[in-house]
Amino acid sequence: MIALTVFRLAAYVRSHRVYQALLLTLAMLAIVHGNRAPRGAEAGVLVDGAILLVPILAWAARSLLDTEPDRQREMSAIQVGGRGREVAAGLLAAFTACAVFATSGLLWGLLLGITGSPSPGLLSVAILLYVVAALTGTALGALTSRAIMPSPAFSIMTLLLGFLAMLLVSATSLYWLTVPLTSWMKAANSGALLAQFPQLAAISLAWCLAGLAAYVWLRRRT
Amino acid sequence: MLGYLHCRTFIPALRPEIYRYGIMRLSNVTFRYRRRAPLVIHDADAHLAPGDVIELTGVNGAGKSTLLRLLAGLARPSTGTITGRPPVVGFAPDRFPSSQPFNVATYLRHMSRVRGGARWEPWAERLNMGHLLGTRLADLSKGSAHKVGLAQALMADPGLLILDEPFAGLDADTREVLPAIATEVAARGGIVIASDHQGGLRGLPGLRHWSMVDGRLKESTTTPLTTPPEPTPPTPALAPSTTAAPPRTTAPPAEPTKPETSSAAQTTVPDASSAPQATVAVTLPADELPRFLARMRDEGYQAREIDAGNHRPRTTGDQPYKTETHRTHTAEDRACKTRRTQATEDRTSEAETRDEDRRARTTEVTG
Repeated sequence: MIALTVFRLAAYVRSHRVYQALLLTLAMLAIVHGNRAPRGAEAGVLVDGAILLVPILAWAARSLLDTEPDRQREMSAIQVGGRGREVAAGLLAAFTACAVFATSGLLWGLLLGITGSPSPGLLSVAILLYVVAALTGTALGALTSRAIMPSPAFSIMTLLLGFLAMLLVSATSLYWLTVPLTSWMKAANSGALLAQFPQLAAISLAWCLAGLAAYVWLRRRT
Repeated sequence: MLGYLHCRTFIPALRPEIYRYGIMRLSNVTFRYRRRAPLVIHDADAHLAPGDVIELTGVNGAGKSTLLRLLAGLARPSTGTITGRPPVVGFAPDRFPSSQPFNVATYLRHMSRVRGGARWEPWAERLNMGHLLGTRLADLSKGSAHKVGLAQALMADPGLLILDEPFAGLDADTREVLPAIATEVAARGGIVIASDHQGGLRGLPGLRHWSMVDGRLKESTTTPLTTPPEPTPPTPALAPSTTAAPPRTTAPPAEPTKPETSSAAQTTVPDASSAPQATVAVTLPADELPRFLARMRDEGYQAREIDAGNHRPRTTGDQPYKTETHRTHTAEDRACKTRRTQATEDRTSEAETRDEDRRARTTEVTG
């Protein structure tokens, strides 16, 4: 399975599709962290950067999974020993790519986006939040990949609208119905990030796992 | 006959590993792509024993590729079960997906790692791919890309080898090699099933012939004989045997029916015991060619067009095409040699073919 994951990552890089997400990531980070945030605003800057990365990470995951032709995906499933392993290898490759972009976003924010150093507690929460962002991007990108949505137009619209829906729903009192992206930003900007972290992290992880499980179910159903 | 009996008796004993895989069974398998969609596969019952080489034919859309996907485990039956699938499956698609950012060697190296370090180099050499290793997949011709698909399917010594139109686009040398490869896979206890319109495996002994007709799987007994005839009653529906014997030990199929051609193109095939091989050239109107070829192939003969573009009409009126049909009857240990002989004959000119055919009791009929 690891070999198939490496194969897909290699294809993603060699096909130059990686540059689409990379350029978007760099542009977004340059805008978000154009000026260093003053002391006391570290949480808000780091969380905003993580949330705004989600659609780019989803794009990266979708792009990686779509690099492999459909027929090759079938051949890969046979070679690796089953559809389950092939799906797992794809998700692992997508998450790896998302984790790389998320790490670059976190490092950019820490080095160029804030003044001074964040507290250890905030740093830990930021790291976990960027992991959540990578998981959210992986799930959203996988659910809009070609294996699930053959139409490119429909899939990209679903990806963008899905992200917008997450933003809008999580801004309401029904924030627990989705990955609470807006709630993360609200908590960070109100200084309640550390206090609300367990609840928001649990909701976020639950929805990420639900999304990934849905992807696995849809892939194995065919 | 003595050699045949010898092989029937002793080859399984000399190859105990031939039974290392169990029998693969399809039990009442139906398949539809979506709920309420029409059935693509109807109640398929079959078995695939270790050592079987199976040719799968059928018209476009009959369900061949779907059946191969079911056998490979890429799709699940809507109802019924498929059991006993060997753990290592090799699948060579009819069209290799060449739009990938690798060259041939890099791609095969990746596939080798996915297969746990299987050796692909011997297959690259055997399939005459040495000069292609540095070529980008996207730059490959159809036939060259097909070879890459074959190499990735073969590299892991599969217990079930699935070939979808394996002869399409291949050069003559590689076409000659494939039947021997299928024989080797079968000889070590693997199962080979090939969807093939071109009859490239028909020289193999004990070849089983499956056909898909409107989603129904049938086993035909009209495949060309390659072993001494032991007539068995024809079975219109698939009738699995109960032995796990390799192809060279299974009872040969019944005598194939002679092709029933129209009055415009009548062919005669000599008796199997008296003539090891016969080639018949048929000239017929151009518009009848596809139907004629399909009918000959359905009857179990190798038929192909010889000179569609250059042939001069012998009669005024309809533009005639010239076709060639082959039928082989060889001992099993000469099967591959016979394939090479046929391929050589295919490359001869029309005049040479006619001369050779006269000596080999070949009849040319003008329609």
